[in-house]
Amino acid sequence: MSQPIEIHTLAGAYALDALTEIERAGFALHIASCEACASEVSELSETVSRLGSASGEAPPPRLRNAVLAEVSNTRQLTAGRAEHSARGSEIAVMRWRRWTAAAVAAGVVAIGGVATTVVIEERRVGEAQRQADQLAAVLAPGDARVRATDVTGGGKLTVYVSPSLNKGVVVMSGLPEPPSGKAYQLWLIQGRSPTSAGVMAAGAREGTVVLEALGSADTLGVTVEPAGGSRLPSQDPIAGVPLA
Amino acid sequence: MSTRAGRGGDPGWREQPTAPILPSAGQPAGPDELLRQVARGDEQAFAALYDALAPRVYGLARRVVRDPAQAEEVAQEVLVEVWRTAARFDSAKGSATSWVLTITHRRAVDRVRAAQAGAERERRVGAASVETPYDDVVEEVTASLEQQQVRRCLKGLTDLQREAITLAYYGGYTYREVAEKLDTALPTIKTRMRDGLIRLRDCLGVEVGAGAPETAGR
Repeated sequence: MSQPIEIHTLAGAYALDALTEIERAGFALHIASCEACASEVSELSETVSRLGSASGEAPPPRLRNAVLAEVSNTRQLTAGRAEHSARGSEIAVMRWRRWTAAAVAAGVVAIGGVATTVVIEERRVGEAQRQADQLAAVLAPGDARVRATDVTGGGKLTVYVSPSLNKGVVVMSGLPEPPSGKAYQLWLIQGRSPTSAGVMAAGAREGTVVLEALGSADTLGVTVEPAGGSRLPSQDPIAGVPLA
Repeated sequence: MSTRAGRGGDPGWREQPTAPILPSAGQPAGPDELLRQVARGDEQAFAALYDALAPRVYGLARRVVRDPAQAEEVAQEVLVEVWRTAARFDSAKGSATSWVLTITHRRAVDRVRAAQAGAERERRVGAASVETPYDDVVEEVTASLEQQQVRRCLKGLTDLQREAITLAYYGGYTYREVAEKLDTALPTIKTRMRDGLIRLRDCLGVEVGAGAPETAGR
């Protein structure tokens, strides 16, 4: 396999949204641990948005009322504060345990690579190999692992893990729109205890989340929770990926 | 004894202010300040932010997704998202305008790629490039100084840098697709995108975090 190329050169493509999901995930992981890269990306993103500013065009007048009306009925996220789950934690843990067992039992197909192992839970083997190649090109650490699964109801959950960095990246794409006031929340599960690994914006259907510390979590799951997130999962997960 | 019923119209009486005090009527707040107010739930500030940024949000969405109806949907999603997630804005990482346009571009690109997933997209990429978005930009960009500056700086790039950047940004292509379209090696395209943006950055005098020394010092 090719040598890891200089990851810095992807900063431009990243700022332009010209990476595939999986490359984007890899690069997001990289900048999470590289301050110089993060500041370069900030500057290039700011530069790119000047290009965006160059395409001003008056929207149809009805858009204003439509947006303002929706905003009046939309709750805002408060920075970094999670809401408490209304449900009892015991129920949540029981459901969780049941589900975790099911996720682990789900069949996976493994494809070995030289530096990268890809496990994908569906038929698109060629696609998996392509992603593996892309990641191998993007990432310096040789212990990259990618796992992807289809999400109940549509969309895809892709998890990239680097054990040597003890970090990971989750990419969610094309998820069904969550009900009003709900958001997707990620969970790292060790054994039977879930820990929140991040909450998406309410209503968001795609996103990238960097997992700063994997610890010894063995599974990553996604649930639908009230906007802002819950302390414990309050619903059955819509997707899960074994990390080990 | 007379009542005061007949004096209702007297403008001199100010028992109760009927309108809120005008917020600092002097200079209008810029997008950064407005977004901070929006983060505190200020709907009036949001309306002002809408007026300041909606044309750019819609214009960018329109350029990337092309279809006006879809662009309108994207713009609405983005602007509501801005309201919802305003608390996440961090001025140390860039301007409010940049933050909003980054969300806009991502959404627009996602929509384009979802719509053109699979074989059809492959075909589109493989086909010869009929329209280079840059030409549109050059024609349409006439108005503001900022726009003229962008245009001038784009002209200062090499052809390959400019084409790579505009195809990716306005066309929503991945750099792999751009490489294919321009019949250029992948590493070259990656490098040209970065080099080109660095040159643009310097030409436009872009700085990040300059306006937020209190957070930059941490």
